[in-house]
Amino acid sequence: MKAAVELTGVGAALGEFEVLRDVTAQVPCGRQTVVIGPNGGGKSTLMHCLLGQLPHTGRITFDPLKPRLGYVPQRPDFDRFLPLTSGEFLALGLARKPVWLGISGGIKKRIDEALELVKAEKLFKKPLGGLSGGETQRILLAAALLTEPDILILDEPATGVDVYGEQLLCELLDGFKDRFTVIMVSHDLATARAHGDWVICLNRRVVAQGPPLDIFQPGILSATFGLHQGLIFGSEQEPPISSPLVGAA
Amino acid sequence: MIFEHLYSALAVFYEPLFMRRAMAALFLLSWAVSGAGVLAVSRRMAFFPDAVGHSVLAGLAAGVVLNLDPQTAVAIFGLLLGLMITFLTRRAKLASDTSLALVFSGAVALGLALISRNPRATAGLTRWLMGDILTVGNEEIAALLVLDIIAYLIFFLFYNRLILSAVFPAGLEKTPWADYLFGAFLAVVSVLAVQVVGVLLATALLVTPAATGRVLAASGRSFFWLALFFSLAAGQLGLWLSRRPEVNTATGATVVLVSLAFLALASLFRKLRGRI
Repeated sequence: MKAAVELTGVGAALGEFEVLRDVTAQVPCGRQTVVIGPNGGGKSTLMHCLLGQLPHTGRITFDPLKPRLGYVPQRPDFDRFLPLTSGEFLALGLARKPVWLGISGGIKKRIDEALELVKAEKLFKKPLGGLSGGETQRILLAAALLTEPDILILDEPATGVDVYGEQLLCELLDGFKDRFTVIMVSHDLATARAHGDWVICLNRRVVAQGPPLDIFQPGILSATFGLHQGLIFGSEQEPPISSPLVGAA
Repeated sequence: MIFEHLYSALAVFYEPLFMRRAMAALFLLSWAVSGAGVLAVSRRMAFFPDAVGHSVLAGLAAGVVLNLDPQTAVAIFGLLLGLMITFLTRRAKLASDTSLALVFSGAVALGLALISRNPRATAGLTRWLMGDILTVGNEEIAALLVLDIIAYLIFFLFYNRLILSAVFPAGLEKTPWADYLFGAFLAVVSVLAVQVVGVLLATALLVTPAATGRVLAASGRSFFWLALFFSLAAGQLGLWLSRRPEVNTATGATVVLVSLAFLALASLFRKLRGRI
């Protein structure tokens, strides 16, 4: 397995509190890796280490050595009444020409292409603050795609998104397979199981990693989440593929 | 020479020379303050000019102690304060309103402490408190022109980045210098606004046109231009009204009142438009 990211003994602290300890894991190249774990388990901290926004111990090596990282954050908290269209938002990170002078034809074309890729063609003129959770997520995804990433990092992309929006997002991400590596933080086990190629269970350290079928076993999940996973999987050993909560016994 | 040409061209509007100067000064100031206001409002830094304005006291006192020309002392002190607020917001991980409040009160306390030792420092304080657009001279107008050139260089080169970091701070690579540059720029604009309308109203001069633009704008582009339009309109209408015999009020205050009236009308317009 060719790894796009190798983490060796990575540790990180927020102030005095040690969040990650001795994290050693691989992220397969061109695949979708889902990082799952409980709240406070260090998932987002790990993403910040990958993005170089947080100092860490240990080693993180990328292949290519200096990859372009696209980042889709959890729904950001910004001023919803700020006059700014989605198209202008995408131009902010792309164009040299300031948005108060308008968007040039070439930039508009690139933005249109990115919007088409995330099935958001009609959002160009819509105010950024007026978008739904799912629409915001797709615009942020378009912004990340415009950086032409080698590795795309998504932090809880399903937060504040309805079922349809989440489904659409997963389909879009499936379409990117083999084009670039995707690393997604999620606490939604159904998404991880249905769309992940590789799963890393993180609870301040790596509890397990591997393909979803190996990982989605009650023993591993309860070691990760510290919960009785019978609630999710019922009495069957093999967990259901569709929404596990529906299949609860 | 240039000024003479300018003033003779403006003779169409006003006869007294000081009115022509005030007209030119308000016109030039509007270009820089409107864009700075749009950025300050977008980056939730609307109280920044207020904090810088309140450093005037300390600036004047420091000028007396260090034997500096008051204007230079106030400008330097304002600039340092702007950089300090930016530093505190970035480094101490304080919310920008908390760091503004801290620096604001620190500057006033320092000013009062220095003045209690050097009462001479209060000479000319009224001018700073109230502002005085009707006594601007050629030097101030030249300074405003330079400010406009710097402002538009910043708006041209860094506007996108400054708005992006307001909306989406997590997505940016680390570029602290852009924040510091904007902090310094906003401090200088604030000091000049203080000279025109006084400490008490400097914030209104920056923030009100931007707020009016925000009420009406549907895009980032129209936000910028509407703020400029309302800044220019309030400046000129305020100047004209303040010198009408039946009005006869302080020019700075009148400009701010006109600007607020525009904001009220814009809000009403939006409400009515929503109903139709």
